[in-house]
Amino acid sequence: MRYRAALTPGTRLRYTCPMPIRTLPPQLVDQIAAGEVVERPASVVKELVENSLDAGARTIEVHVEGGGCRLIRVTDDGLGIPREELLLALSRHATSKIASLDDLEQVASLGFRGEALPSIASVSRLRLVSRIQDASHAWAVSGDGSGRWEGPAPAAHPPGTTVEVRDLFFNTPARRKFLRTEATEFRHVEDVLRRLAMGWPRVAWQLRHNRRMVWTLQAADTPAAEVARLGRLLGEAFPAQAFHLRTEAGGLLLHGWVARPAYTRRQPDQQFFFVNGRSVRDRLVAHAVRQAFQDVLAHGRHPAYVLFLELDPAEVDVNVHPAKHEVRFREQRRVHDFLFRSLQRALAEPGPAQAAAIRAARAAPEAGARPGGTAASRAAAPGQAVLSFPAVRESLAHYERLYGGPERAAEAPVAEASLPVPGTAPPGTPGEEDAPLGHALAQLHGIYLLAENREGLVIVDMHAAHERITYERLKAAWAGEGLALQPLLVPLTLAVAPHEADLVEEAQETFRALGLELDRVGPDRLRVRQVPALLAGADVAALVRDVIADVAALGDSRRVQEHIDALLATMACHGAVRAHRRLTREEMDALLRDMERTERSGQCNHGRPTWRQVTLEELDRLFRRGR
Amino acid sequence: MKLSVQREDLLQPLSKILGVVERRQTLPMLANVLCETGPEGLRLTATDLEVELRAERPLEGLAPGALTLPARKLHDICRALPEESEIHIEASEGRATVRSGRSRFTLSTQPAAEFPRLELDAGTAALRLPVPVLLELIERTHFAMAHQDVRYYLNGLLLEILPDRVVAVATDGHRLALAEAPLATGQEEPRQVIVPRKGVQELLRLLGPEEGEAHLQLTENHIRITLPGLQFTSKLIDGRFPDYRRVIPRDNDKRLVADRESLRQSLGRTSILSNEKYRGIRLSLSPGSLKIQAHNPEQEEAEEELGVEFEGPPLDIGFNVTYLLDALDALEGEKVRIELSDPNSSCLIRAAEGNSAEYVVMPMRL
Repeated sequence: MRYRAALTPGTRLRYTCPMPIRTLPPQLVDQIAAGEVVERPASVVKELVENSLDAGARTIEVHVEGGGCRLIRVTDDGLGIPREELLLALSRHATSKIASLDDLEQVASLGFRGEALPSIASVSRLRLVSRIQDASHAWAVSGDGSGRWEGPAPAAHPPGTTVEVRDLFFNTPARRKFLRTEATEFRHVEDVLRRLAMGWPRVAWQLRHNRRMVWTLQAADTPAAEVARLGRLLGEAFPAQAFHLRTEAGGLLLHGWVARPAYTRRQPDQQFFFVNGRSVRDRLVAHAVRQAFQDVLAHGRHPAYVLFLELDPAEVDVNVHPAKHEVRFREQRRVHDFLFRSLQRALAEPGPAQAAAIRAARAAPEAGARPGGTAASRAAAPGQAVLSFPAVRESLAHYERLYGGPERAAEAPVAEASLPVPGTAPPGTPGEEDAPLGHALAQLHGIYLLAENREGLVIVDMHAAHERITYERLKAAWAGEGLALQPLLVPLTLAVAPHEADLVEEAQETFRALGLELDRVGPDRLRVRQVPALLAGADVAALVRDVIADVAALGDSRRVQEHIDALLATMACHGAVRAHRRLTREEMDALLRDMERTERSGQCNHGRPTWRQVTLEELDRLFRRGR
Repeated sequence: MKLSVQREDLLQPLSKILGVVERRQTLPMLANVLCETGPEGLRLTATDLEVELRAERPLEGLAPGALTLPARKLHDICRALPEESEIHIEASEGRATVRSGRSRFTLSTQPAAEFPRLELDAGTAALRLPVPVLLELIERTHFAMAHQDVRYYLNGLLLEILPDRVVAVATDGHRLALAEAPLATGQEEPRQVIVPRKGVQELLRLLGPEEGEAHLQLTENHIRITLPGLQFTSKLIDGRFPDYRRVIPRDNDKRLVADRESLRQSLGRTSILSNEKYRGIRLSLSPGSLKIQAHNPEQEEAEEELGVEFEGPPLDIGFNVTYLLDALDALEGEKVRIELSDPNSSCLIRAAEGNSAEYVVMPMRL
């Protein structure tokens, strides 16, 4: 109770009451505003570089010293600022990016608030040098944080703009105290720049710290160059495991790279999402991605991706957050659905095909560099076309017909959860030279299956692979069944919050489509009158509550599907071959072929990988061949 | 304490009450059986704190005493000993020795005074009914009890004592089973109690087909049923059972009468190819004939046709076949009558003659 005394009204009044109300001096206003935008050196870098990008720069050089606390210099080759606008650029709410409310509603540039430069200027010693494209020389202005400016004075500078920010927070000691070590601040700068560089592949970048070159990136014009660039920014493991994705529908375009589910992270640290080139961390986006990965991700792991969403600027509101980390979509549900479906479909593609796609993308730039005589050329000389047999194409078409998608699966004859037998593979397959998973060699300790393909050795976890195949078959078969519904003889009454009950009344159709029939029987009571027959034995009350929460947040719910999938996964696990079951060569080959045409066959139902490739290069390295 | 007894005198009562002892325990004492001896003979008690079972064996010449022994181990030992062997049990300081012939077992024991007992509050109602009547009431309804439902009051069997009859009702929310026994109960006020699922299952094991009388005692929170040589005590589920009368459809106008055994066999065969998770089958009724169809996710199909007494417009309706089979199994009589109204409303199944048991099954939308 002691702390209460300090909070009595009298104590508080003593601080606020005696001062009259007055307008704050402009410099203080700027400094307060700077608190929102400029948190640390990294935020300065972000604002300055975004200005450069908005000015159409093709090359951007960033030079920082002391983690950005001593100096940040951003140089670009963009449009430049004319002499007469230099001082205006430094005053509050002055911008060339928007002019009216209509513009604000469809912002296509990264910045638009007209706040960054004056805010930064108010907490640092800033110098701005700029030369427009056809001027004979540049003009410079500089300030000392007090709101007074020197210049414009003539200066030497190539076409473009340089902003120099020295001694950040020199006049706001409170902020300075919160700065971390030089290394930490630099890490933040690098992180900001990494995001920007990923979002703008056509721009060449340089980052220097304390006069030392940290990274240089060439402008990337081809997908292969973009992949190489991602490797530079995220480490080589990411592009090696990622596949390219591009889907377009109804004015939404999603493209980028997603790591195969076998490559996951303990932290969500490799998740980059760009909306119209702007890096955002958005809940809606995160949710859609998580759901798409739901079936293939091990518990507690996070997917890695670099994705770009492009849509009409009018469809998205970026004016939510001063630093613009969050965005708001006009049609939330449509965007969520689009993201979820695009990603889910991409992840569903049979595992080996994804790997092949990325190999193809990587092969292009490396092809020339590959020294002759190594294992790779032994496997297949690059550029050598492979004879394609008509039978192969035919059988592929056959697969497509068979496993085209859940909506068509109903017609497909589905085998019991049994091992694939050789007879089930269509004719033509065994002779196929180019089977991505190759041909079975042997079984190892009754657990693993060894196979040989063009790249080298394939190791398959037999049980995990068969489990996934069985699971996908069950899912397809049950999707064809339609949802059987069980009306309840004794309806279940459920207490909910009144706003949840309102929602149920409004979204009756959504719930009915999920097989749930809910009636409102009081301000805060619902009655469940019908559930999907499959889930009749489940905890219906908990399920309904989860579904309501989902519908409230996202307008729809996949809980019912997730519950059904979980049930099918258990059935699949019991139906799959156990370890130590001896398989014949034919059975093993049939399993490999099944994997090649099964969706998500790269992971078992629990997200563990089902197969691994050991390349000939790796084997050669083990035995020091060809050195 | 010391106890000498014939193997059968120990094994027979022990196996009657063993079911209530859970295999895994958090409270070690609950794995034990309490053995008490006195002038009346041997008395064994086992409990899981919800249900208590007691078996008595009149034996002569036993000194008074009490001890607890691990129930399942004791049972396994007795069963493995040769028939008609003499068993000697002696307890001292936390150990009990079981000896028979040249075998010797040392078991852990716990103080008999710590054995938990269900204390009954003052009785409020008592009645007597023949054992076969009680058995029939339970046998015809118990399978419809819910299992671990959040509506805890469904996880048990409703016993309703009316002045002129006793009614047993069970439902899992999808189907309902009801059985009645006309009986002058001597009760003025109707009384409803819900016996928990586990208690019902144990009771079923205790009730043999032999004639005899069961003495039923009801208190605020407990039910006690005394049978010859056995005593069953259970806590009651404290809740309100749904009004079963409102659930039973009384004006279904479409009536189907079929031979019970052949309908049961047809359904049994068709169910082989029904969906293994929710066991859906489709009944297509047309005058004089019933078609039963099932198919599974693998698109395999079963179809049966059966001659039945049915008049009226054709009707298509889906069911969980397990619910129908359960009802047909529990019914008696040669003919079964099924009363329907439309594909979305519940149906009523009963024997064509007599009205001792009724089953309500909700259809399924396939």
